[in-house]
Amino acid sequence: MDFVPHDDKTITEMLKVIGINNLEELFQDIPKDLIINSLNLPLGLSEPDVLKNLKELSQKNKVYSNSFLGAGYYFHYIPSLVDFVISRTEFYTSYTPYQAEASQGYLQAIYEYQSVISRLTQMDVANASMYDGSTALAEAAIMATIITRKNSLLLLEGIHPEYSEVVKTYCWGQGINLRIIAENKLKDELNEDIAAVLFQSPNFFGDIEDVSMLAKRVKEKAPNCLLIQCMTDPTCLGVLKPPGETDVDIFVAEGQSFGISPSFGGPGLGIFAAKKKYLRKMPGRLVGKTKEIDGEREGFLLTLQAREQHIRREKASSNICTNQALCSLSALIYIISLGKTGLREIASQNFQKANYVKIKLTEIPGYEILNKKPTYNEFIVKCPDVDALTHECKQLNLLPPLCLSKYFPNLKNIVLVCVTEMNSRESIEKFINAAKNALHNKKEGKK
Amino acid sequence: MEYEFPDDIKYMKTHEWARIEGDMATIGITDYAQHQLGDIVYVELPEIGRTLEKDSNAGEIESVKAVGEILMPLSGEIAEINAIIIESPESINSSPYGTGWMMKIKVSNSSEINELLSVEDYKKIVEEEKK
Repeated sequence: MDFVPHDDKTITEMLKVIGINNLEELFQDIPKDLIINSLNLPLGLSEPDVLKNLKELSQKNKVYSNSFLGAGYYFHYIPSLVDFVISRTEFYTSYTPYQAEASQGYLQAIYEYQSVISRLTQMDVANASMYDGSTALAEAAIMATIITRKNSLLLLEGIHPEYSEVVKTYCWGQGINLRIIAENKLKDELNEDIAAVLFQSPNFFGDIEDVSMLAKRVKEKAPNCLLIQCMTDPTCLGVLKPPGETDVDIFVAEGQSFGISPSFGGPGLGIFAAKKKYLRKMPGRLVGKTKEIDGEREGFLLTLQAREQHIRREKASSNICTNQALCSLSALIYIISLGKTGLREIASQNFQKANYVKIKLTEIPGYEILNKKPTYNEFIVKCPDVDALTHECKQLNLLPPLCLSKYFPNLKNIVLVCVTEMNSRESIEKFINAAKNALHNKKEGKK
Repeated sequence: MEYEFPDDIKYMKTHEWARIEGDMATIGITDYAQHQLGDIVYVELPEIGRTLEKDSNAGEIESVKAVGEILMPLSGEIAEINAIIIESPESINSSPYGTGWMMKIKVSNSSEINELLSVEDYKKIVEEEKK
């Protein structure tokens, strides 16, 4: 399809129809002092000069050889097959299909993505994806208030603090109340006014929750209350019980771990799946498969569109009318290239390597693992001196773990360590050395 | 296009109808409305026992291309909903006044019946909309 820009004749005609004289009048609501009249751009550079310029800029980056940082975005191996497929220009440049049925190729890819997510999570239905894990959680929360016609939410501590902020922002605009509570307060706080209980597992601190137990406690006290689970690293589904085998009503996750580079913290992928009975209240696009009226040929289409805001308008549960097409394709290629055995292997390595680091750290006096529940690839460690540990890691070219005080000022000297299949034996040994050195340097008063 | 306008029922300008029988009323949408909506694929109705005011939202009716609100022609308590249209929403298209009825309510304020439109007044409204 060619790009056909407007010509002057067409523009003049359109301006006449709406009754204005020139394009500038369309912007008359913008205060005059904010309108830019000229951009102070330098002259263009030649291609080799541009490359030289960008290379110099990139060398200002500090690139660590290995990472022990997680907290929402993760370093996992991205099979070369992912880049190979998504680099096809038909996929790479095209955003997400509008006049969708003319893009059968992309629709098929999205349909397959929905199918693998549904299988992996064992949830009945998955949508074409949302922007990222945090907004997917917020959308799930809104969806719950519409389904139950209730206006309050309970968020369990352990949800990624930035996710909670996003949910708060969405709720503020819609007048929905929310409270963040500790799990042991659930019994007191649950009542018939709560639309949903939101929790994260594995949680921000690395704990794997007993989801069946939690579901039982919620549904016994408030049977009409929905249970919403979020997850920041879904590679754990290679070893953990999927949400579809529990009473979780809506499941959301950050899909970045499925074949998407961490980059600078984006783009992400909002995995969104739910039980079948909530299908008609689900936000986002849904791709379906159908047959032609006059024959047997199958085709793909966007379906159940009466849910969406272009038809349902203000009664829709969301105003989203897009999906993270390229990222969902990355996730699809990642998942199918690994397959069931590959995903299990990755998850197993994450679990075992993290466990190994836990054991080695415990052997160093002054370091204490604080998790009381089982963990996957993240855990929290009390350290003798968090600043010293951070310094020693950087000295050994390791991206240091997160200091919890960044989000919880009263949690001093605790770090959130993440270990994935990307952490080799050498890098783990280096990290243990960094932890030991931090001890000695603290004793000697070095920083 | 000739639409059906039974004369034994009352109408709303928002295209719902109500058949009054004693202190109960059967509610549905008109032949004109089902035609405007197109093939109906899904209906959402309130739970039995719920009490709703006249003109308030009593659910939604979805076709492939549109979503319409169902408004209460009268105030009352939902006594019964039609299982047939939940299973086969297309009954609303084929028989909007018969097997495609939507719900039965216990009328709480019979004076509201006078505010409903007669078949003649409703016909005029449809004529205006068609222009």
